[in-house]
Amino acid sequence: MRLFGRTENAESPGAEEALGLLLFDDVTAALAAERVLKTAGYEITLIAPPRHLRSGCDLGVSMHRVEHVGAMRALAEADVAVRSWVDDTEGTMAVSDIVTSVDFGQWLMVRAGNMKIVVDKATRVIVNTSGGGCPDIPYLNLRLVGLTLDEAPRPKDLGYTLCGLMLDRAYVEARALLGGDA
Amino acid sequence: MGLLVVATYPVAGGPVLEGPVSVAPDGAVCVGGTQVPCSQGTSAMLGAACQVATHLGAPVPHALVAGDIGRGDGTREVYAHLADVVSRVEPTVIAFHYMQPVMALMRIACEHLADAAPQALLVADAGGMYAAKAAGLASRFELLTPDVGEVGFLADPDVSHPAYVSQYLFGTSGFDPVVLARRAYESGGSSRVLLVKGVRDHVFVDGEVVDTIDLPCVPELEAIGGTGDTVTGLACGFLAAGFPTVDAATCACRANREAGRAMGATPAMHAGQLVAVLPQVLRDNLCGWAGACPA
Repeated sequence: MRLFGRTENAESPGAEEALGLLLFDDVTAALAAERVLKTAGYEITLIAPPRHLRSGCDLGVSMHRVEHVGAMRALAEADVAVRSWVDDTEGTMAVSDIVTSVDFGQWLMVRAGNMKIVVDKATRVIVNTSGGGCPDIPYLNLRLVGLTLDEAPRPKDLGYTLCGLMLDRAYVEARALLGGDA
Repeated sequence: MGLLVVATYPVAGGPVLEGPVSVAPDGAVCVGGTQVPCSQGTSAMLGAACQVATHLGAPVPHALVAGDIGRGDGTREVYAHLADVVSRVEPTVIAFHYMQPVMALMRIACEHLADAAPQALLVADAGGMYAAKAAGLASRFELLTPDVGEVGFLADPDVSHPAYVSQYLFGTSGFDPVVLARRAYESGGSSRVLLVKGVRDHVFVDGEVVDTIDLPCVPELEAIGGTGDTVTGLACGFLAAGFPTVDAATCACRANREAGRAMGATPAMHAGQLVAVLPQVLRDNLCGWAGACPA
């Protein structure tokens, strides 16, 4: 809100709720930051940076502005490289939360955005992954198929891209539907 | 020469491979004599394209691929080699497939191809399609091959990756390919011909439906990693053999579905099994579908 040319500052009522954005050079760094910051107790959200800051496969972290100095210190201590901090989140977008499933009888397929995971309901073995278009997806297919949901690593711990992140969401949902939270 | 496929294969640090593509009877795929891992993705796409070329007696596809597991290193390698390969191979169809979706690299590639291979038809799927759309280049492409989820991404001018597709496009009963394909075309997010893969496949020209294919119905195919890639590979194979783009897309959908039926698809099967049955499917059906009959 502007009054007589003044802009809100950090001391304005409600400013403590204002959000800013941590930017990274790649999705891997953003996912590493998510792990560090959640472990440290920060409230964060993974989001797409504004259009003018995107290169193609991008992921940022939004968080309360007032907490970003401590958060950047925690990331530096954990060797997670931050490209920059942006003091607002205008133009950002949330990661898709569209999750659906298809029951094939013996198998359950879970879709999250553009990614799918298929699990044998009796054995909990991952029998397929599909969808996506980033290069870590065929790699994740090779690494995950044949393992049970309990044996398999989290896709976001192996992958590097937004497709890998969406496959992780499908994996988490499959675990929730078949028992055994991630 | 016919088809050039530009893509990656899922091996960390794997070298650049370039050369003709071959397929073993069990569906294993080689590029320039080196086998690439059998997985969803480009190996499935190459395998299907190669089966079409072999069946029609056309030149086998030529591939330019490098190892990449999502870090983008192999993607940068193939872009760096693209100009040289295009000048030597002189492809008539160039397909971008599984690669890191980097807008800047796709812009440079398209600018180069506009001069170096102006007659070549451009096709994109997977990360190549994501980069083309995000960079505002989709309309330069002859054919894009999204699945139903990805057409929502093409229709949304504000997003640079399908992971950010807007909830409001999903509607109450899922993505509507007819509505979204028209939106994509009107907003510059579509190629001239668009093949949308789904329970019912749709083929669009300039945003309008020209064909739908829903038989045979094999819903298990959606669960099998790489069966969308085989549709793209089939379409590229037909296109490189001289089929008009709409016919190439339509025959690709039919052949993929027939192959799913022939293999007795279950959600636990893999795309290599589909590639392996394609020769029989093409022998039994292509003459009736497209008039492309053995001499």
